[in-house]
Amino acid sequence: MPKMKDKVQKRQVKFVSRSVTRIWDEQASEHNPFLAEHCRCYGYDLLELMRKCSFPEVLYLLFRGELPTGEQARLLETLMIAFINPGPRHPATRAAMYAGVGKTNTSRILPIASSVLGGAHLGSEEVEAAMLFIKRHYRFAPSRITGDLIDGLAEGEERQGDFHVAPGFGSRFGGIDPLPQKIAAMLAGMSAGASALQWGCSLVEKLTPYKMGWLVPGVAAAVLVDLGFLPQAGAGLFQLICSPGLLAHGLELAGPYTPITAMPFLDEDHYIIEPEARKR
Amino acid sequence: MNRKHEKDDVAFWQERRGIIRTRKGGWIPGGIVHNHGYSLVDDLIGKASYFQVLILNVTGRFPERRLADWLEAHFICHSYPDARIWCNHIGSLAGTMQASPVAASSAGVLASDSRMYGPGTILAFIDFITDAVVKKRNGTSAEEIVRLCQRRPAAKPTILGYARPVANGDERIPAMERVTRELGFARGKHLALAFEIDEVMHRQHNERMNLLAYSIPFLCDQGFSAKEIYRLLSVLVCSGVLACYSEAADNPPESFFALQCCDIDYQGPKPREVPSLE
Repeated sequence: MPKMKDKVQKRQVKFVSRSVTRIWDEQASEHNPFLAEHCRCYGYDLLELMRKCSFPEVLYLLFRGELPTGEQARLLETLMIAFINPGPRHPATRAAMYAGVGKTNTSRILPIASSVLGGAHLGSEEVEAAMLFIKRHYRFAPSRITGDLIDGLAEGEERQGDFHVAPGFGSRFGGIDPLPQKIAAMLAGMSAGASALQWGCSLVEKLTPYKMGWLVPGVAAAVLVDLGFLPQAGAGLFQLICSPGLLAHGLELAGPYTPITAMPFLDEDHYIIEPEARKR
Repeated sequence: MNRKHEKDDVAFWQERRGIIRTRKGGWIPGGIVHNHGYSLVDDLIGKASYFQVLILNVTGRFPERRLADWLEAHFICHSYPDARIWCNHIGSLAGTMQASPVAASSAGVLASDSRMYGPGTILAFIDFITDAVVKKRNGTSAEEIVRLCQRRPAAKPTILGYARPVANGDERIPAMERVTRELGFARGKHLALAFEIDEVMHRQHNERMNLLAYSIPFLCDQGFSAKEIYRLLSVLVCSGVLACYSEAADNPPESFFALQCCDIDYQGPKPREVPSLE
């Protein structure tokens, strides 16, 4: 029988003595080396950014290293408005609302809801996967992949619930979710030239007869690809973009005068414990 | 095919609207707390261990005590109170900012959902070991399985479970081998192959297995599915995180591993003026 007789050995790995960043430069105060007198984001002074730039412009700068063009800034800002709130039926928002009504410490509401929004179904993991999917395919005509996707649909017919033929594209509650289609059309009209969004719109045309269309993560992914963000940034950016709505709904129910009865707690007629779970 | 004016078939969701059906259990106020066919109050509290109930709640199957004890020992393996370990460091940072212990442990547990260490590595390793077991059954040797993981003939194979960050080898494996032996578990096909691969990796590439490559095959041999293992081990690091959190939270705020401005090495663009946009 093999045994682990050998001593565990620390690897000869050289770790840095100081963290490295290209994003943020803090100039120490003359009076206290632990306090910053000035901060610069990719070389731009924070106070100057405050005076001259919008929030989406500085957000873009943080992730891309350069300020956006006017068109890019408008596209990002419009995307942030489009998905500012997943809405009160979305499981992530409901998580925020249950945290609120349960009088969870309010500083926990956003991480709770963001964690739920981090899922692989209609969540930030799907945004990242959709960005990878789009980047892999969008330089080619959608017809090159629709055959494979439609074959996937046939496999999906046996499944219960919704089916995503590719990350970011599929059905919602058995149909085509109308709002993402409208949002995608509006955003696609904002950028000149060929784009991931326009490619996605062409793909969706082929999927429409099968009751499949854009899903929210697909639209977000296509815009983020068009804006040049890396797929690994997509997941967190989607959480960030949806955060205001999640927090607002949680806080709406978190007040001291909102009773615990302000959210459903099902009675025994609507909470059905199947026989196999009941004490035998 | 034109379905433009057809109504969507929403029967699947309509059946689930405003109602919860569960095979797990629930509380009847003034009555029984049903839990997978048991009464939580009468059958489990004080009679079953916490880890037996954890396995029951995740899998729906009530395990024998020795399996729950093995799992508890495995959780202890992940309870290093070392603030340099990534998830624990996050616990310390939460402590130094006077965050709550619940926030700190949640943050540390989330950090361990990593592609490099912790529960985040479980599914990928299970893919590897279950595929390797099938290959072995079809006549592929452990040497060949390792060779298939090499990108180039001369390259070192990168196999999760045989590439522990920071150290080579794992001090916890002999301890868990003792636990496994004392609890009377036999070595199953997944764990036996994991050791065969270890022997090849050690002989050919001077790499040893780490705890992931020991514990996951053991749990596969006990009949747990990949999803069940990921769920059972999801809060594995909580104890170590809380140790580090507690020390930092008990000290003055921002005193944990304090940094001066010059302790960050800025390598970005030089100072520049914000251009007029538009």
